[in-house]
Amino acid sequence: MEQRLLAAAAAGRNHNQFPKSLNAFVSLISNPCTSDSTLTTTAETLISHLQSPNSNHQQILSLLSALSDHHPRLRREVVAAVKYFILLPSITIPALSHALSLLDPADSAALDLFSDESLFLTLCFYECGKIRKWLLRNVSIFRVRPSVLLTILLGFTMDPFPYIREAALDGLVMILNDGVVVEDRSLVGGCYFRAAELLFDADISVRRAAVSAVSEWGQLNVASNPDEYKRDLSDALFLQLCVMVRDMDVEIRVSAFDALGKIPTVSENILLQTLSKKPLLSTKEKIYPGQYTEKLSNIPATAAAFAFLHGLGDDFFQVRRSACRALQTLMVPSAEFACGTVDILVCMLSDASVVVRLQALETLHCMASHGHLKVAEYHLDMFFSILIDNDALIRSAMRKTLQFMKLQKLAMFRSCIENLIKNLELYPQDEADTFYALYRIGCSHRKFVIKIIQEVSQELEPSLDGKLGFNKVKSAGLFVLAISAPVSLERKTSSVPPQIFSYAVTLLGRICHGLVDVVDENTLLSYLSQCSRFTFTSTSENIEGGLLDFGLKYNRIHLHEKSNEVSSPSKTHGPSEFTSPLESHVKSVSCVKTIFQKIVDLWPLIQLGCMNEVARTLRSLKEETKLFTRDSHRPEGVIVFAMNYIHAIKLLGNAWAYSLSMTNLQLKGMGALEYLLGKMERGLTEMLYRYVGMTRNEELHILELMLVTYAIRLACGDTCHFEEYMRKLDFVLCSIEYLYKEGSFEISRFVTDLQNVSREIGNSEDKAVDMPYLLLNSLNLFSLQHIMLSGELKHLDAEVDVCGNDFRKPLPFVPGLPVGIPFEITLHNISSEIKLWLAISVGERSTQFVFLDLNEFGGSDEIRKFKFVAPFFRTHRVKHLVLKVSIGMESSSENRNLKRYNGPKHELIYLSRDTEVHLSMVVR
Amino acid sequence: MPIECLVLGAGQEVGKSCVVVTINGKRIMFDCGMHMRYKDLRQYPDFSLISDSGDFTSSLSCVIITHFHLDHIGALPYFTQVCGYEGPIYMTYPTKALAPLALEDYRNMLERGGEKAQFTSEHIAECMKKDTILVDSWHTIHVDKDLQIRAYYAGHVLGAAMFYAKVGDSALVYTGDYNMVPDRHLGAAQIDRLQLDLVISESTYATTYRDSKYVQEREFLKAVHKSVASGGKVLIPSNALGRTQELCMLLDDYWERTNLKVPIYFSSGSTIQANLYHKILINWASQNVKDTHARHNAFDFRNVRSFDRSLINAPGPCVLFASPGNLNGGFSLEILKQWAPYEENLVMLPGSCSNGIIGSKLMSAKIPTQIKLDENYDITLQIHKLAFSAHTDGKGIMDLVTFLSPKHVLLVHGEKPKMAALKEKIQSELGIECCYPANNETVTIPSTHHIEAGVSDAFLQSCLTPNFKFWKTNVGSDERTPPILQVHDDRVGQGMLTLQNPRKLAMLHQIGRLRLISLVKNVNLFDISLAREITGNSQEKMASALRSAILRHIRVPVTQSFVLNGSRLATVRSMSSHGDDHLDKQAVIDRVLDVVKSFPKVDPSKVTPDVHFQKDLGLDSLDNVEIVMALEEEFKLEIPDKEADKIDSCHLAIEYVHNHPMAS
Repeated sequence: MEQRLLAAAAAGRNHNQFPKSLNAFVSLISNPCTSDSTLTTTAETLISHLQSPNSNHQQILSLLSALSDHHPRLRREVVAAVKYFILLPSITIPALSHALSLLDPADSAALDLFSDESLFLTLCFYECGKIRKWLLRNVSIFRVRPSVLLTILLGFTMDPFPYIREAALDGLVMILNDGVVVEDRSLVGGCYFRAAELLFDADISVRRAAVSAVSEWGQLNVASNPDEYKRDLSDALFLQLCVMVRDMDVEIRVSAFDALGKIPTVSENILLQTLSKKPLLSTKEKIYPGQYTEKLSNIPATAAAFAFLHGLGDDFFQVRRSACRALQTLMVPSAEFACGTVDILVCMLSDASVVVRLQALETLHCMASHGHLKVAEYHLDMFFSILIDNDALIRSAMRKTLQFMKLQKLAMFRSCIENLIKNLELYPQDEADTFYALYRIGCSHRKFVIKIIQEVSQELEPSLDGKLGFNKVKSAGLFVLAISAPVSLERKTSSVPPQIFSYAVTLLGRICHGLVDVVDENTLLSYLSQCSRFTFTSTSENIEGGLLDFGLKYNRIHLHEKSNEVSSPSKTHGPSEFTSPLESHVKSVSCVKTIFQKIVDLWPLIQLGCMNEVARTLRSLKEETKLFTRDSHRPEGVIVFAMNYIHAIKLLGNAWAYSLSMTNLQLKGMGALEYLLGKMERGLTEMLYRYVGMTRNEELHILELMLVTYAIRLACGDTCHFEEYMRKLDFVLCSIEYLYKEGSFEISRFVTDLQNVSREIGNSEDKAVDMPYLLLNSLNLFSLQHIMLSGELKHLDAEVDVCGNDFRKPLPFVPGLPVGIPFEITLHNISSEIKLWLAISVGERSTQFVFLDLNEFGGSDEIRKFKFVAPFFRTHRVKHLVLKVSIGMESSSENRNLKRYNGPKHELIYLSRDTEVHLSMVVR
Repeated sequence: MPIECLVLGAGQEVGKSCVVVTINGKRIMFDCGMHMRYKDLRQYPDFSLISDSGDFTSSLSCVIITHFHLDHIGALPYFTQVCGYEGPIYMTYPTKALAPLALEDYRNMLERGGEKAQFTSEHIAECMKKDTILVDSWHTIHVDKDLQIRAYYAGHVLGAAMFYAKVGDSALVYTGDYNMVPDRHLGAAQIDRLQLDLVISESTYATTYRDSKYVQEREFLKAVHKSVASGGKVLIPSNALGRTQELCMLLDDYWERTNLKVPIYFSSGSTIQANLYHKILINWASQNVKDTHARHNAFDFRNVRSFDRSLINAPGPCVLFASPGNLNGGFSLEILKQWAPYEENLVMLPGSCSNGIIGSKLMSAKIPTQIKLDENYDITLQIHKLAFSAHTDGKGIMDLVTFLSPKHVLLVHGEKPKMAALKEKIQSELGIECCYPANNETVTIPSTHHIEAGVSDAFLQSCLTPNFKFWKTNVGSDERTPPILQVHDDRVGQGMLTLQNPRKLAMLHQIGRLRLISLVKNVNLFDISLAREITGNSQEKMASALRSAILRHIRVPVTQSFVLNGSRLATVRSMSSHGDDHLDKQAVIDRVLDVVKSFPKVDPSKVTPDVHFQKDLGLDSLDNVEIVMALEEEFKLEIPDKEADKIDSCHLAIEYVHNHPMAS
């Protein structure tokens, strides 16, 4: 059979008959029983076919690929043949790409082909333009030195074929995105000016590519020049891109505006020119290097004329949005420019496209938060009409913008309030958010608030028949406004009629829901009831000193001090007056304290093994703690700590109960217990390392719990990890001893006993036999103590995210080549001394660590938010990859050194959840 | 062949647009408009200038109409029905649909005024039935074998188009009226970046700089709202087509947003018909209308209803759209007379009112005033001037010209002083030639003429294979920046153009010293621009012109033209320096023989001073040319064609060089 097939295959030597012999080849290759000699013959036949110019190379290549897959022994010959084939001048594109795919860049036989630039260069300088295009598009397969690649790409921007010019420009952008550093200033300039010339190409796709190339290389050009030129070059780049905003192609306009938004510094006079069609005096005669038309180099500054207004008035919403977005960054340095754009942005609020309206609002919001938003009276109508927009997103964005607005006149403020209330009436679902907006805008316009409330206080009074008309939405809104009015706690005076506060109490629930970010219900209640007893002074001057603001985040600390001040005397005078106002932190600490007390009470139950009871109680405690986390802010460290603690106790209880009944152990084995203990251990370690500001007492408590974990494990006869856990146990005991030496506190009997046991076991001959009994004895001495919380705890936390990436939108990668993954990282309470690592793992085993040098990223210790592109090197030859990424902190106290290349030297404490990153092979 | 532009209308004025362009033997009439100010034959372009015999059909290749406004199409019925033109007419679908409406409107208005139009209803119908060919935006149409035209979206009014016409290598764009910024109902003009010799552009607002449309809209709405809120009636005189729809969309939108309940009226039935067209021809509308029309057709106005005469003096506020737009009679004037005495009322005057008509009188008047029409009217109503315009402003014209970067610009449809200012700007800022001829003037504009040349294999090879070089130069005049790297792809620069015989050009590759390669292929890859030199018709003249062009300086762009390093070519063909020192004969003989010997095809042993190139050395006529060129190079002299043809042997060559006074 084999011989017959071979004969059939050999008949295919004649090229015309090749299709017929195809099946014979396939059978021969795929049959595992085919003899070696036949296979060798087959390979030879195929290779000879491959070299003849007339055969169907695609088919032969697939056969060869199958051959080398099934019979690795023949791989070398196949690769050699393919290498030879690639260099044939008659090669066609599909065959070339197919042939190249046969060669594995990681394969040593093919390595020289890809790493040797000569193949790349040879292919590049072929006459066939298509091959060139394919090469430029697939540059990443080859290992070409960046310097060579850059030269090649720059050269090909001169190619007569537009698609090659386009590919070359794309390649130039790609080089920069890959992080290649180009230091030669003249080369950077060369690339930039060449790209600028291609902005005037007749071919649209070339122009598109040129815009992004100009943007990227322009920025590099600015950066690589000495400081004294930077400003001019930046302006020149801006003008160069401004020329493109009048292109007839939508995509080009969009990317031109996108690129404009990336330029950080632009001279103010040029920015102002973009708002005026007439040449301004300041820009009239100025000329910058660049490309103005195909023939004219040197761009006059007037080229920027009206650029933004054209963009904002464009026919396509994509362009309008992009122009709006660009304004967001450009208006930051120049208040005058920002002022000029407000007019148009306000008009954009009535745009037909929701996306544009949202973007315009966002830009306005950004402007307001930079203090550049000066609202004129005639804008207000437009602004306020947005408050009753159909789209909830738009309304919400508008309210956010309102909060930052500075209104100069009372009339403006009044109409603002009126419109917010109108919003409230039309869309009851916005109530909470609107209340918040009312409160915030009230806080920033206190004098107006006083006036308004005084005007309407009559309306707010109960009607003659004694019924309060407070269910009216309007009154509710006004009450919220009144809360933002200034009062003086020291003098107990209020600038609005104090009875309003007591009326507001009737709507406490609703108001509180709106102000949940600012204050909790009890504090508000006490605040209101306190204020309602104040005396009314109509002059606001008396009150200036006692402005009480529980709104602004940055005022929190200030407020904290104040509240202590206020609350301490009140306590001495008598508890009934009022509790400390408005400070949720103090409240949460006290709450956690009670919770911890309750947990101690649970201990007897745990000892009895009534875990159902205990679990229920713990669950309710957890719920209670969660109440503090419901607002959108990050929960305080104390709260997170409490949650962790509750969880640990639950695990402890379960483990305890489990270990109590030895029958259980005998029946079910160690599995479940080991799992519980493992979880507990991890939890406790985290608690130990992930909080800043722990006292010795707290630390000791947790260490003790750790000892319990280890003791249970060892007592229940976990012989496999005996050595390991003994070492751990000793380590913890040492730590406790160390703490003991530093401070004055007692060591519990459990610990002292355990110290003895550990010493004994160290001396004993037959450790595994004696130990469980000894340990069980000491465990019986353990009882849960009350953990004393003393101060503020800061939770070290990290979030890592890859924007927009999920399994449907994977990042592209090329197998075998490193891939850069853009992470968005948020760190909380992490000081720059801490060594942070990004752990990227594929599957279970292989993990790659990337060090995060916190000094490189700005931000404060409290919160750091930055973007970081981490390289991932071990891309396998698969179509899809799922990476798990988390952030770990190197624990300095763990004295175990890990021998690892390029990784942390100590154990990592993971600070974030695993984030999945999806990668997918590049398919062009 | 140069392009000839005969401006029959709209030269240095606004009205009766009509330009007849002769381009490579094809004659195209762009637009055929009438002047609204005149009532006699002056309102039409002087068609007799096209053809003395009156046989327009054979003297014009086609007529192209850009849009349905009367100053662009008004004379068409007269031209076809009275003057008897029977050739093809090109216009877009909407123009064809709306043109009868516009023409009929005009005729009716004249008849109401007791006058008689130059054409009848039947004329209009007949004219539209004629051989009109419809085009769509971005479609290319081959009028005949040589002439192709393409329509581009122009904004302005529904169905307005810019036209691109190309004959052979010459191409031009006639813009008609266009708008470079989108408005509520129409998009902005769109066009490709083309290789153009000429752009004929309108220049109505050559020196105006219009504010952003948002500001214009806000002011308009504010004025209307204010008047309506105080109980006034708002009169908006506007033509049924275009402006009415735009303002209606604006108002309708505003009404929805602010929940206003004041009625908005259309006065005439033609507005409803026009609305219908707008609704159907959604493809020609603005992007926004296109995007949303599936949900809600923007021309389905929710707050607009039709007007009844009984409503003229009905109490309460209202907004009324009445035609005609320029208030020179008709319904809008009638309403104005009725509403003028009340100061809460408002009239919205269009941005441009021609002199003499009542609109411009109102514009300059101080309110309250009296205006004399058929009797005296007290005018106390408020007047607001609309800033809207469907025409592009000065910045828009500049933007379009910058984008297209043609070799020449011809301005029409504008006022003379403004055109002069714009011309100055185009020439100084963009370095593009510009002119603005008056009516009935003819302008001649040089055009591109490409000559097909044969190419040698080696040259083709060198063109296909990348061959780039890098060197550092200073960019621009700016001395501050350090020299930057520039890339040059020299694969084109090394070509050499020769004349194989007077009719055929050849493209040769120069490797080392002139090596002759036989001509193989005719590849249409090369456009050799030798524009100016080739003006004559006769082959001989052309050949000599070519020859001199080649010898002086050639630029050989390959498909996409990059700027070549002219200096390199110049060194190859530099003929300028001549020394005075005369050569002695032996030196001449040696050098000539050297040249011939170094010729690749030649066996050096055969070369003697008496050898004949073709007979003895087996060279052909093309080789002959190469040798002559090599000699020119060697001795730095220029050999005229006639002489060059005679030099077919070494002997003659030596004689010629020796006797040449300039040889060095």
